[in-house]
Amino acid sequence: MLKKYIIFALIAILGFYLASTFKEIPFGANRLGDLNDPETVSAFYLQKSPEDLHVANAITAIVVNFRGFDTLGEVTVLFLAVTGLTSILYRKEEEEDEEERLSIPSSSLVRTGAKILFPLILVLGMYVFIHGHLTPGGGFQGGAIIATGFLLMLITYKTFFTNHNVMTWLESIAGLGFVIAGLYGLIVYGSFLQNTAWTGNLNDLLSGGLIPLIYIFIGLKVGTELTSVLDILLNIKPRKK
Amino acid sequence: MVISPVHYIVAPLLAAFAIALLSKIYKNAARIVPGIVLFYNIVISLVLMPQVLEKGMISEVIAGWEAPWGINLVLTPFSGFLTTAVSVIGFAIWLYGYKFKVRLQGGEVKYYEILQMMMIAGSLGVIITGDLFNMFVFIEIVGITAYSLTAFYRGRDGAEASFKYLLIGSLASIFLLMGILIIYTQTGSLNMAQIAERMPMVPQTMKVTALIFFLIALGIEAEMFPMNGWAPDAYSQAPSPTSAVFAAVVSVAGVYALIRVTFTVFDVEGVHQYLIVMGFVTMLVAEISAVAQVNLKRMLAYSSLGQMGLVLIAFGIGSHLAVFGAIFLMLNHAVIKALLFMSGSYFIYNSDDKRLIGLNGIHKRLPFVSAIFSIAAFAIIGFPPFSGFWSKFYILIAAGDENMIFLIIGILMVTIIELVYYLRTVARIYFYKDEVEHTEHKPSINAIVAMSFLTLFIIVIGIYPNLITGYLHQAADSLLDKASYIQHILK
Amino acid sequence: MMEFSEIFFKYKDLITVAVYGTAIMLIIIGLYGVLLKKHLVKIAIGLTIMDSGINLLFVAVGYIQNGTAPIFSPGHEGDAIRMVDPVPQALVLTAIVIGFAVTALALSLIIRLYKHHHTANIDQINSLKW
Repeated sequence: MLKKYIIFALIAILGFYLASTFKEIPFGANRLGDLNDPETVSAFYLQKSPEDLHVANAITAIVVNFRGFDTLGEVTVLFLAVTGLTSILYRKEEEEDEEERLSIPSSSLVRTGAKILFPLILVLGMYVFIHGHLTPGGGFQGGAIIATGFLLMLITYKTFFTNHNVMTWLESIAGLGFVIAGLYGLIVYGSFLQNTAWTGNLNDLLSGGLIPLIYIFIGLKVGTELTSVLDILLNIKPRKK
Repeated sequence: MVISPVHYIVAPLLAAFAIALLSKIYKNAARIVPGIVLFYNIVISLVLMPQVLEKGMISEVIAGWEAPWGINLVLTPFSGFLTTAVSVIGFAIWLYGYKFKVRLQGGEVKYYEILQMMMIAGSLGVIITGDLFNMFVFIEIVGITAYSLTAFYRGRDGAEASFKYLLIGSLASIFLLMGILIIYTQTGSLNMAQIAERMPMVPQTMKVTALIFFLIALGIEAEMFPMNGWAPDAYSQAPSPTSAVFAAVVSVAGVYALIRVTFTVFDVEGVHQYLIVMGFVTMLVAEISAVAQVNLKRMLAYSSLGQMGLVLIAFGIGSHLAVFGAIFLMLNHAVIKALLFMSGSYFIYNSDDKRLIGLNGIHKRLPFVSAIFSIAAFAIIGFPPFSGFWSKFYILIAAGDENMIFLIIGILMVTIIELVYYLRTVARIYFYKDEVEHTEHKPSINAIVAMSFLTLFIIVIGIYPNLITGYLHQAADSLLDKASYIQHILK
Repeated sequence: MMEFSEIFFKYKDLITVAVYGTAIMLIIIGLYGVLLKKHLVKIAIGLTIMDSGINLLFVAVGYIQNGTAPIFSPGHEGDAIRMVDPVPQALVLTAIVIGFAVTALALSLIIRLYKHHHTANIDQINSLKW
């Protein structure tokens, strides 16, 4: 009992501390400074993104190019999460017969609707990550949409399986693609992940140099990995031939 | 293509993505490729360290955007020294675990090797990065691999230890993000050097708040009291090579992150006293707990925590000699603890009783491993002529220089406690009667080579410490010299 | 109908409290869930709530008055002066994905713990003594 009150008190103290700290940080204040003579990183990015990189979506430019190393780390985190998930829930062949896939009986409305919606959702997802540099969105968002489509099918149909081999291949090739694109920058320009010189015009589909290409790789990778996670957590056994 | 710091990260990444494809062609690829990658890391260290020592620092820009607009990787004598040590020890642990028979309870070898290699790569990333948010991402990489590896064996309590570790690690992430957010709003930048430059302009309350959040978050990673409850469980439940990597690599990365943020990024007074106090409490609590343990790996884990406490005390003292001793102790602890876990694991494999009783009289069946364990135990207590003696010696002298008699007494008391539980274990190995059931499990040739190499290091550095004191002095200098760090990166 | 900027100016304090307060409340509620709840899945949910809270705080801090989305769509190429801060949004992208990965791992550990102990109550799973 006493422990509970102590923890309550600690949490309340933390809450008040946070609130008083953030009272000092005004909401909506302009922290960017002068855009022509950038002092903060945000001003620099907003200035360079349309001029040098010809990428319309400034956030895409930041995620893939300016801070591309963070994105590389994040893609690695996803990959390692899938690897870890597989190793934690690993089962040997003999024990697999006890598990069954969780299934919820679905009405005919859901079954028909899912079959129609699934390709549409996939196309929407691919649209989002292919146009990541022009419109809001990008690799991660598009990949999440694709995974939602797969989740719909997995829940509705008890017999819908995803092909593990295809997933593994797609995942590895997309990951290797990202790293090789970075290495291209390293070998040709001397700096890992540096963008090429052909950046096209602002707001074209083919603008931004390597950025759309990398985002496509990321989109595929995130889509397959999120689907794998759903797959593993729903206890799906590969079809025994 | 010139070798540069980014290879430390890119090589393991390429290998990790490729192993999934390669292991379909060649079954054993998953065991061999990490060895090649870790060896390449040693090569990188040997190529880059002379350049670092000559020029003072290497700063490499990523994606062509110079610091502070882009992310940069920094190799100072301090971080370069640590990456060299981590690469060498990582390779030795891989060699030790090469024929690791993943027992009936484990998963596939492929996952194990990928996760372990990426844990080492993530720690290297924490050490060489020069950007706050990048440090957060790499800490998460280390965290995810560590959670998965702790739960690797089924049947034991691995999942529970891993869950506890996961909860505490996530708390650390949240606090770290809060600290980064506050710093970002005040300075408008995420680059460590630029933040250090702009820090004097930040209001004091904001600075202190952010520092507290950072200390909590990085204290969890660096195993500072009272946030190190996860460590004994995690160290004892993980597979043996993984425990060695935890003690030698992950804790080094955690302490480096804490020290880099405290010394270079922030300029708040009074942090050093805080480090001394918390380090002292950590050391005391951990060593006293170690005496009461009946499980060998848990005992070694608590001993690890105690050594980390001593490292924090030494950094807290802050003088050149103290920092020199601290870095020396970090290196020694990494080598010796890895060796203790490696040899200790063979004791556990060879007896059915997992408690300390299982070590009675085991020297008859495993003479070589017993000798190595004893040498490592003496080294960490601080007996001459082993390397552990010098690090403790310098730290005591540094404490004496600052007239901290209380500290000297405390450290000597703790050394006596260590004597108690280590000598007790060694006595069991050699002088007690062998009473328990045992299964045969002799060490294979690769394990013997790896362990001998590390033992050789302990003995050679113990007799000739001057072989590395030059590098250590330069490393200590570079840590204490904040101005040249900022100047070199921001030009 | 008043313009948004006028409303914002008039009720500035209230909006500040609402936005920051929501984010901080989410963090506090999540922390409460992680520390004080007994059921494993509730602890995992608390973790998710904490992640959402800190992400919301990040994006909230990035808002600039009268700002618009940082996208240079056709016709708005010169709008850099009126855009919100893009950096916190990019950081949050990364943080969301990392939070997801940790949650997935936590759930898989819960599955294993449940299979082993047949209970999801953290008090009864405490077999690792100090």
